[in-house]
This record gives sequence, C-alpha cells and structure tokens, in this order.
Amino acid sequence: MRVKVWDPVVRLFHWALVAAFLANAFLTRPGKELHQWVGYAVAGLIALRVIWGFIGTRHARFADFLPAPGAVLGQVQDMATGRKRRHEGHSPLGALMIFNLLFTMAGLAASGYAMTTVAFFGVEWVEEVHEMLVVWAELSVLVHVVAVVVESRRLGVNLPKSMVTGYKTLP
Amino acid sequence: MTQTDADISTRSAPRPTPRRPMSLVALILFQALCSAFFVFDVIEDLSRGEVPLMHMLPEVGATIGLFVGILFEVRSLMVLLRRQAHMEKSLGVAAGALAELMEDYFRQWALTPSEADVAAFTIKGYSIAEIATLRGSAEGTVKTHLNAIYRKAGVQGRGQLVSLLIEDLLNAPLVPKDGMAGAEART
Repeated sequence: MRVKVWDPVVRLFHWALVAAFLANAFLTRPGKELHQWVGYAVAGLIALRVIWGFIGTRHARFADFLPAPGAVLGQVQDMATGRKRRHEGHSPLGALMIFNLLFTMAGLAASGYAMTTVAFFGVEWVEEVHEMLVVWAELSVLVHVVAVVVESRRLGVNLPKSMVTGYKTLP
Repeated sequence: MTQTDADISTRSAPRPTPRRPMSLVALILFQALCSAFFVFDVIEDLSRGEVPLMHMLPEVGATIGLFVGILFEVRSLMVLLRRQAHMEKSLGVAAGALAELMEDYFRQWALTPSEADVAAFTIKGYSIAEIATLRGSAEGTVKTHLNAIYRKAGVQGRGQLVSLLIEDLLNAPLVPKDGMAGAEART
C-alpha cells in the first residue's frame, strides 16, 4: 500500500540540506565568501523547517514525532525481538536523529556566523566550537545513513526512496 | 492493512510495562558521547600532522576499549529487552520463573531473536495469524520460524513444546529454596 508521507517542503529541505552540508564540509573553503553564503542558506533552511514543524502537513509536524523515552525503547525492543512495526512518519529513533541534526546544523550556522562578526572574529573558542560541531555533524550523518539502510532492510521499506518520491510502500 | 502504531497499541499485545532499563541506556549514550570525543581528538591530532606514537597509542586504545564496552552493553540491553518482551505483565513468581525457563531453553536451542519471539508467543497460545499480526510479518514467515523452533527443540509440535516447560515447572520449586513456602511446596 502506497502512503503519502513526506510533503515537498520536507523533501526539498532534506536534499537541500544534504547538498549544503556536503558543499561546506568538503568543497568550499572556510573563510571564503561562498562558504559563508552556503552557511546562510543552511540557517534559512533550518528556520523554514522549524516553522514548517508547526504549520506543515501531518508527518512534517514536530508534534507527530516528539521522541518519548518509552517509544524509543519500544523500537529497540522491536529490533531485539525481530518484530517489524512500521511507522508511517518518523520512527522514535529517527526522530532523535532529526532533532540532533537540526540542533547541530543550527549550531554550525550560528558559530559560523559569529566568526564573521566583529565581536567574535578570531576568537579561538568560537572556532573550536565550529570545528567540533563539524565532526559531530559528520559522525551524525554517518550514523543516520547507516541507520536508514539498516532500518530499510529490517522493515522491508525503502526509506531513502520515500524521501525522494514522498511515498512509503508499506506491506 | 498496514501496521501502524495505533493498530498495535489497541491490541492486548504483550507490550511489557516492567521498569525500563533506562540506566543502561543512559550509560550507553554517555559512553557513545565519550567515544565521539575521543574520535574527534584522534582526528584533530592526525590533521595536525606530527603525531608522537606515545600520545596516539593510549588514545586509540581507549577509543577501542570504549567501543568494545558499548558493544557489550548493547548486547546485554538487547537480551534484557527481549526478556522483558517475553514476560507477562503480571510479574508473579510463576510468570517470572516461566519467562526465565523459556529464555534458558531458547538459549540452549540457539534460537535467533525472531524465533525466540515466535516461540514465546506460541507458548502463550497465540495462533499463527495472531503472531504474524503482532510481529508485522507474513504468516509464511511465522510458519518457517515455527518449523525451525520445533526442529531445534526436537519436538513434534506446539503441544510438546509447551509440555517441556510445564514438566520443568512441575519438577522445580516455584519459590526459592530458602523460603518457608519453598520447603513445603517441595515434597
């Protein structure tokens, strides 16, 4: 059964953020103007997503995927027992990663912007925070991708495809 | 129909409510953060270029140690959650003893996590169709699991599987030996 789960805003946000993060992590040079503009774009994307988290479609809203400790452990228990409970929207563990990535990206944009201001220009701790967040974001993205693949195989639902087409095919 | 959260939670499914192993989860998260910090540190050292071996060795060693620790904790968390999933909501002495006995047998027979789950439902008397719904899998899959369970346990069918446990429960004291009741219960 095909179910529409991700609206265009969610999908566009996701892939735009992927592109922006990859660009700034590996392609653009820190301190250069392009790096800064991509950073502003990330800040804009995050702001858009936060607003959409309150007024968006059903599965786009934060209220739809607030992670409860019991639900998170329930999902781990499903894994431990081989039960396949498929979530239409975000799963509890997936929701944790989303909030983690949202906060990390917001922190990256904020610390990056701070480095361009007069007050914080050349201040060492701001740079260190920015660098630490980069590593944290890279680790998070790695875990995110691995988790998506593992969950897709475990549940038999192609999750990456659903983030492209917007539809989940649930058996 | 598809399986959604609402679907399952309305059923009288054995979603167990005993205390959650939150402290273990917290420990795993904390150690994951620690190892993330070490990984960050190692990456930073490497990007700096000059890396004295005496500085790197302990760091890499500590990181590996943390990862191994996390691995073991995750494993025991899985075992704990599996055990909880197979327990009845009423945690009477008999239910606890039965769950323990079941888990012992499942280990002995080397059942996979999925097979152990199906076995637990079967022992509790669920039908194949019901188990398939509870686990979100096809009935054919459940049947395959059941065949594997019967083969590994060396029994003919559900009746024999259950009687194995009943026999053990009847032979063993339900209450620990040191208790007064235990002495009486045993002949």
